[in-house]
Amino acid sequence: MADARPAPAFARTARAIGIAWFALVVLMLASLGSAWLKLGAFNVVAGLVIAAIKAAIVAWLFMRLREAGPLIRLVAVIGVGVWFILIGLSGVDYETRALTPAALQRPQQLLPVQAAPQPR
Amino acid sequence: MSSVALPEPHAEPGTGKLGMWVFLASEVLFFGGLFLAYLYGRTHWPLGWAAASRHTDVVLGTVNTALLLTSSAVIALAVACEEDERQRRWTARLLALTAALGSAFLAIKGVEYHAEWREHLFPGPSFALDTPGAQEFFALYFVMTGLHGVHMIVGIAALAILAHGRRHERDWARADHIEIAALYWHFVDIVWIFLYPLLYLVQRHG
Repeated sequence: MADARPAPAFARTARAIGIAWFALVVLMLASLGSAWLKLGAFNVVAGLVIAAIKAAIVAWLFMRLREAGPLIRLVAVIGVGVWFILIGLSGVDYETRALTPAALQRPQQLLPVQAAPQPR
Repeated sequence: MSSVALPEPHAEPGTGKLGMWVFLASEVLFFGGLFLAYLYGRTHWPLGWAAASRHTDVVLGTVNTALLLTSSAVIALAVACEEDERQRRWTARLLALTAALGSAFLAIKGVEYHAEWREHLFPGPSFALDTPGAQEFFALYFVMTGLHGVHMIVGIAALAILAHGRRHERDWARADHIEIAALYWHFVDIVWIFLYPLLYLVQRHG
């Protein structure tokens, strides 16, 4: 398992891990608090942005993307990138398709959606 | 044109580490389908999603999030210890601590599941909430947290075995295997980082 860069000194790594952990806990509490603010659609935006920052800290520092070579970074980006492409393509399909109830769904479950204007 | 060997800034990663990253990329798509289902439900039944989310236990969810974040930091420290000869004696203990934190997470999740079952929040004929979409929320809640829990069980088993092997200085419990296991554990943590606001914090006010 050869990494071209020499491993940083243990004390420095341990301190970075400690700071990252503290930042993760603070961000978790910020996420928790934001759920009680009346931000409308920005509630979910705040939650997801904070989650993305936390995930980036874990990936960058704990999973060592910071020290990784281009091959591993490429794999990581492709994994997330393909997911975004698939979400986009699937979203186009779902947003333009009229809803029909499945046999297992109670009729009232579809009411709020059916009340909304259907896509032409 | 003469060919000149360019200096390589990074050595090629080991096959095990690269293999784990490729596996994790496929896992993004594995969980990704469920996140798409969530997105669909939340945009089509926002009221049902908000009402159902308020019935999840936010205290236990937050404690579990803190446990997982801490476990990620602990296993990152275990990897760092393994790389430093003077700190290597801590590796097995830190791996065992990570597995213990994961087990505590699962135990708390079990308490949550038990309470939700008693409150008729498990989808079915006797489901407690009438708001349209609430039942779909809880169906996804159980599938997503259940799938995450299965990943946790695999991770805990791997870490417990590695901790045992490292303690008895087995050849297979070496640094690169510990790092690969840590990558998996961090990924499971990242999945939970997104599940936490999406399942527990949809709309706590109002």
